[in-house]
Amino acid sequence: MSRREGSLEDPQADSSISPLPHLESKIQQTHSLARLLTKYAEQLLQEYVQHQGDPFGLPGFSPPRLPVADLSAPAPGHAGLPVPERLRLDEAALAALPPLLDVVRRRQAELNPRALRLLRRLEDAARQARALGAAVEAVLAALGAETRGPRPEPAAIAAATVTAGVFPAKVLGLRVCGLYREWVSRTEADLGQLAPGGPA
Amino acid sequence: MLKEFRISGRLAAWDLQGGPLAPRPPAAPASSALAGTAGSFARTLGPPASPGPSPKRNCDPRLQQDMALKPSLPRKIVRAGPGNCVHPISPIWGNTAVISPQDPTLLIGSSLQATCSVHGDPPGATAEGLYWTLNGHRLPPELSRMLNASTLALALANLNGSRQQSGDNLVCHARDGSILAGSCLYVGLPPEKPFNISCWSKNMKDLTCRWTPGARGETFLHTNYSLKYKLRWYGQDNTCEEYHTVGPHSCHIPKDLALFTPYEIWVEATNRLGSARSDVLTLDILDVVTTDPPPEVHVSRVGGLEDQLSVRWVSPPALKDFLFQAKYQIRYRVEDSVDWKVVDDVSNQTSCRLAGLKPGTVYFVQVRCNPFGIYGSKKAGIWSEWSHPTAASTPRSERPGPGGGACEPRGGEPSSGPVRRELKQFLGWLKKHAYCSNLSFRLYDQWRAWMQKSHKTRNQDEGILSSGRRGAARGKGGPGGWAGRETRAPPGGRRPRALHPQP
Repeated sequence: MSRREGSLEDPQADSSISPLPHLESKIQQTHSLARLLTKYAEQLLQEYVQHQGDPFGLPGFSPPRLPVADLSAPAPGHAGLPVPERLRLDEAALAALPPLLDVVRRRQAELNPRALRLLRRLEDAARQARALGAAVEAVLAALGAETRGPRPEPAAIAAATVTAGVFPAKVLGLRVCGLYREWVSRTEADLGQLAPGGPA
Repeated sequence: MLKEFRISGRLAAWDLQGGPLAPRPPAAPASSALAGTAGSFARTLGPPASPGPSPKRNCDPRLQQDMALKPSLPRKIVRAGPGNCVHPISPIWGNTAVISPQDPTLLIGSSLQATCSVHGDPPGATAEGLYWTLNGHRLPPELSRMLNASTLALALANLNGSRQQSGDNLVCHARDGSILAGSCLYVGLPPEKPFNISCWSKNMKDLTCRWTPGARGETFLHTNYSLKYKLRWYGQDNTCEEYHTVGPHSCHIPKDLALFTPYEIWVEATNRLGSARSDVLTLDILDVVTTDPPPEVHVSRVGGLEDQLSVRWVSPPALKDFLFQAKYQIRYRVEDSVDWKVVDDVSNQTSCRLAGLKPGTVYFVQVRCNPFGIYGSKKAGIWSEWSHPTAASTPRSERPGPGGGACEPRGGEPSSGPVRRELKQFLGWLKKHAYCSNLSFRLYDQWRAWMQKSHKTRNQDEGILSSGRRGAARGKGGPGGWAGRETRAPPGGRRPRALHPQP
């Protein structure tokens, strides 16, 4: 571990870092959580496209990857960053996802009111993103790394209503679910760098 | 490279490469001024910073409104700053075309004329080469025609019902297949009048109602059903809130119901194409009372009697505080049969003896209750569900012979020769041994036991088996009656819920 970035043996690390076994346990647990949520995120995406109807879910369906304010996909250079910086970006993304998932859920409640499992998965995803984000933040704190700045005001984002057409709303929901999957998967990979047995 | 595209009066910016917008330095948290103003927005852009989530932006509603009122603003890149608004999850559709109509609602069998108009960004963009898909299927070119250089029209006739409730996806594609714009079609039928409303109250504490959605059933559109109720003579309309409790078209009112006064109940169905209302059902809660099935149903053998089983149960405890007379029904069947036999009109008692059963046979037994006569009402209530099946087996018999009749099955088995013969024998014996005119079941049991014993003795002496004798148990009330009381079991006999033959 001494050769990994963000190592506890890093001389720049804060001396108040938790004992090594405790930190390793926390990292491993968070890594396991991320792995589990990656699977759930994939299921959410499958459930989502199923309820929007074709061409959503068809092979080759490729709507424009519309950018979502406050959140974009992991950049190509993400993997080249130091691990703490990657985790910081992961944590920021995970914090930005819950209100976006909530908006998608509310829209889907209008479009697919009987899709109870989809609505439940969207609700769970928001909760799980918060939990994973908090866990990553705890790992960063234990590593002595800085976390990101002030969180967004949930009221501001949640208060915004979407009166767009139905098709753009479907595409946007697909985008948000896709971002959720990408960031959870990215978090799993980044934590894997720190987990015992991970690559040096 | 970033460009602006005009979409229905809005301005949007979209990276043509399809990649994420470059993130910007963190800004102050967005205000809540965007609420309800999704129809107008502007996207802010800035120099590339570190990769990752985009920072938040400030929002100046004045600028937002300005942008909405001036759709002809020249193209420019709006930089991040306190004067710019960004919709946090805006319906950004950075495409170059728009479909009209947006999200129409249509009757099954109707026609649709739609257009896909390109905006001429980039310059020279035309409708040439565009095509349509509906739910992922490419539509035949003969359904499309170019209205002008920038507009492709589509004509669909005799539309089928929507494939999914979120709407059929009508998409306009560029020549290379990329998606330019989309619209969702809602094709269906208005709701029909719901009917066949039935309601019941469990233990006078609540009300559950069920209905049938309409003769035609499928509307292909999401149809909302709302159960309404009000006191007949006064009060306001109330709406049931707990739906799908006993099926897709049901609702449960958990509390605050009045007794001794009629309610009016009806169902309203609404979808995008219209609404319909059921007829009004008027009822008094006391007249539709049901209860849980009788608990603690036990079935056991009656000593060594090979053709009888004893059934006992407990009156539903939820009704113990109410004045009522319960009626019970029992049904039973042989283990490998699907035909139930019903013992009807079991009056206000909590035990029954089934007779005329087949020896050495496993029977399943169920009991249900009807709480009629609540608070002096003369109306019958509603039968409860059947209790969970309880199984028990009759003792094996040494005598062959077909299984005979049962304890007054519903519909009645015709009186058979052997039954009459047995009854005649019984009466003869009774004349000889009984000195009171009151027939008692105890005496009958004693006689049955004596008969079996004497048969066994005869068989042992003669080494032959006698012919089977079965007779329907005739209890009080003559035909249709049943053995309604238990006798004392022989020592070492009965155990509750006997499931296996006793050793």
